[in-house]
Amino acid sequence: MISVLAFWLLFLAFAGAFAAQVAKRVQIIAAAPNNISLDNLPFRINRFLVDVVLQKRTIKERPLAGLMHAFVFWGFVAFGGYTTVEFLHGLGIVDLTETSWFHGYRLVLVPFAAAVLLGIVYLLIRRAFIRPIALGDHVSIESIAIALFITTLMVTFLLTFTLEEHSAAGVVNWWTHMLVILAFMALIPASKHFHLVLSPLTVLLKSPELGNLPNLDFEKEQVGLETVKDLQSKMRLDAFTCVECGRCQVNCPAWGAGKALNPKKIILQTQEALLAGGSAEAQNARKLGEIYSEEVLWQCTTCGACESQCPVGIEHLPILIGSRRGLVSNGDAPEYLGAMYNHLERRSNIWGLGYDQRTKFVQTAALETFDPTKHDVLIWLGCAGSFDADFQKSLRSLFEILRARGVKFGVLSKEKCTGDPAKRTGNEYMFQELANANIEDLKAAAPKTIVTSCPHCVKTIGNDYRKFGYEVEIVHSSVFVEELTREMRATASAERVTFHDPCYLGRYAGKVDEPRALLTRFGADIAEPERNRDNPYCCGAGGGLLFADKEEEPGSRISDVRFKQLQATGANTVVTACPFCSIMLKGAQASAGADTQFVDLMTFVKNKL
Amino acid sequence: MAGVLVVAEQRQGKLNRASWETIVGAQQLGGDITVLVPGTQTGAVANELAAAQVKEIVTLEHAALEPYTPDGFTAALQDAIGQLAPDFVLLPHTYQTRDFAPKLAARLDRAIITDVTGVKQSGADTVFIRPMFQGKLTADVAPLGPGPHFITFQIGAYRIDQVAKGASPAGVRALTVNLDASQIRQKPEPPFQQAKQAVDLSQAERIVSVGRGIKEQSNIHVAEELAAALGAEIAASRPICDAGWLPMERQVGSSGQTVAPKLYLALGISGAIQHLVGMKGASTIVAINKDPDAPIFEVADYGIVGDLFEIVPAIIAAVKS
Repeated sequence: MISVLAFWLLFLAFAGAFAAQVAKRVQIIAAAPNNISLDNLPFRINRFLVDVVLQKRTIKERPLAGLMHAFVFWGFVAFGGYTTVEFLHGLGIVDLTETSWFHGYRLVLVPFAAAVLLGIVYLLIRRAFIRPIALGDHVSIESIAIALFITTLMVTFLLTFTLEEHSAAGVVNWWTHMLVILAFMALIPASKHFHLVLSPLTVLLKSPELGNLPNLDFEKEQVGLETVKDLQSKMRLDAFTCVECGRCQVNCPAWGAGKALNPKKIILQTQEALLAGGSAEAQNARKLGEIYSEEVLWQCTTCGACESQCPVGIEHLPILIGSRRGLVSNGDAPEYLGAMYNHLERRSNIWGLGYDQRTKFVQTAALETFDPTKHDVLIWLGCAGSFDADFQKSLRSLFEILRARGVKFGVLSKEKCTGDPAKRTGNEYMFQELANANIEDLKAAAPKTIVTSCPHCVKTIGNDYRKFGYEVEIVHSSVFVEELTREMRATASAERVTFHDPCYLGRYAGKVDEPRALLTRFGADIAEPERNRDNPYCCGAGGGLLFADKEEEPGSRISDVRFKQLQATGANTVVTACPFCSIMLKGAQASAGADTQFVDLMTFVKNKL
Repeated sequence: MAGVLVVAEQRQGKLNRASWETIVGAQQLGGDITVLVPGTQTGAVANELAAAQVKEIVTLEHAALEPYTPDGFTAALQDAIGQLAPDFVLLPHTYQTRDFAPKLAARLDRAIITDVTGVKQSGADTVFIRPMFQGKLTADVAPLGPGPHFITFQIGAYRIDQVAKGASPAGVRALTVNLDASQIRQKPEPPFQQAKQAVDLSQAERIVSVGRGIKEQSNIHVAEELAAALGAEIAASRPICDAGWLPMERQVGSSGQTVAPKLYLALGISGAIQHLVGMKGASTIVAINKDPDAPIFEVADYGIVGDLFEIVPAIIAAVKS
């Protein structure tokens, strides 16, 4: 009887500590501007099953550590009923421990306990001795304690099979088990282990669209994220969920090139800012540009690696780009963007060139103005296609392929930049101006299908324009031509090449098989680089960084790092599928003085036809 | 006959050449032309301008006009215009004019037409031509309301050598105006030049630019000799500066300097778009490259496909002879 009373007191004390900490965080989330959404629920449920239940994202990148984590996770789930029964027993509510099903259940738990033990001992060794860089500079004492807790839980569970329940040793064993659970519970909310509770939720709430940036509503005077107060509910939830595994960090191209940006740090700084003491008013008024540092915010290429690799459903891009929006609204964009914005405003293209050059290209390439009664598809040229003589060669290749296959196509008589660089650098106003103008022209032209060779245009027209209510099928040329040439075979002999997946094609659009199918169909023997397919290493151009003078400084160029990775494949030909990757990587090649050849995917195919 | 007042611009006795262009504009407009020279130390400038075929030169000296302030100029010119009673007031569209002319026109509540490139007669009306939409269109604008009407002429709208000179120098007289220095609210700091880059390629008239086609650092001298022969600045594309063959400040392109010379000679530059956007303002682009497909030829006015180590010495020899 006394033991039941004592357990009640302990239970209330620890559960109270847990509840108080959780309540504080719930309050912080509830006070935020709400951005919780459950649109596209089937997709979300599927992802929940794959990433939470099956632990795919955890295992995929780090198979051994991920599997060990899965053992611990599945063990925890399996032990749920056991813990509940023991608590009901300890609190004197109902004793189910002598039922026959419970005896059977305990036996089923034995292999789970063994798996958890194996998993946690491995993870403990990894954290304390192997110490991968992603986990941070110093060993977290708290993590070690949690690992020892879990070990103790499993050992005390297994000891129940050998110890007499009512013997002194048996009683001590039971109390040890239960006290560890209580202590664990009290430690959770303030630690990265809060992900045990929150991550199923964050994975479910994560947007189905990578880098989802809802339009700002200027009528409501929305200007982006300026201060802590503006951080939205999902962002706050994310900050408390972070498990600090560092997948975002090690996959970040900016971090990989030695820049200051570390996506994990952004999330932890968010958490710190939300939990900082002092008056709520002062805390809410803190500027995000100061918390994260403006310099850091402008280093993001928006490649999306952080967000797509996160195993607990954190969305980094809305915070990074949202903060850029706040800076741009206050006129705090870096100088190089001022020049680019001028170009967009005056000339509607990123280069600031006159549209006579686009007209010249349209004429020399004999392109017709799109007419839905005459043409199958509309070709979207984009800023690169309209003005970059180098990229126009690859477009001419595309036109040649299409003509050879009898596809009828046309272009718009005029075309503005889709607004991708404005959107990704937080100049929402300029983005919406460009988007609205283009949507009007596209609606008037009324194409069913748009084909483009620019993956950024695919994302912007395909995803961002949808938020204005404009829906159209837009496909990258690699996807379109792959389908168009399925029964064809090249006669040329095998050629060793490497393929650089553009972030906006491989990661954002998930098109990784089509370019490869095309390459192999037309005689390429692909030497895969490290970081490929849906997790490529960025070329350094995205997010407006094409224009960044800092990005252009030798020593920390993302493009140089990527070029070395491509060189390391041993292939002397790099195939690209995005005009901006091509610009960046050719720049890196020229600076390295290497004799690597570059060829756009469309030109590669055309040459083999 | 209409009275036309040209407000010349000078600083410390040195005439702003755009004032001559405005006189050409005034001569096109026709009428009795008076040239007003406000400021201090106006004597030499007045005598220089007296060569033009105009009715007279009027100097407007006042200690409070140096240094320039918008309050000082507005007050002094308001008084002078009252005394001279012209139908038109013509000014060169300089930074200084842009600063005070709108204020002056508003003070007198008279029409102002800025950045004008030409004058024509349309029936009985005098019409002024000005560009719109970044120069894509031009508009004919007629000033309404009572005179004087203010017109500012775009720099370069007229050529200085078109100015009609008088048989004998025009007369010069001084005008006294009421100017209360205490009403000038601006207190200008002494002028200073913003620290410029060690090399300012943006002002260069001729540029010889080097790309990877130069192959080795030891070959840079070939380009330097050509630059010396042409009196040109030397510049480069990114890889050359990355390699340290030429200093970073000589880099042209989106990550370097933006240039607009009369002549841009691209030696062994393939023409990546990031380089092209830095030199698209050049009047004449000459490209030498051994790759006939190099994108530089898309923008070049003159393209030479060949070995720059053969072609450049030939150009140097031709220039020297």
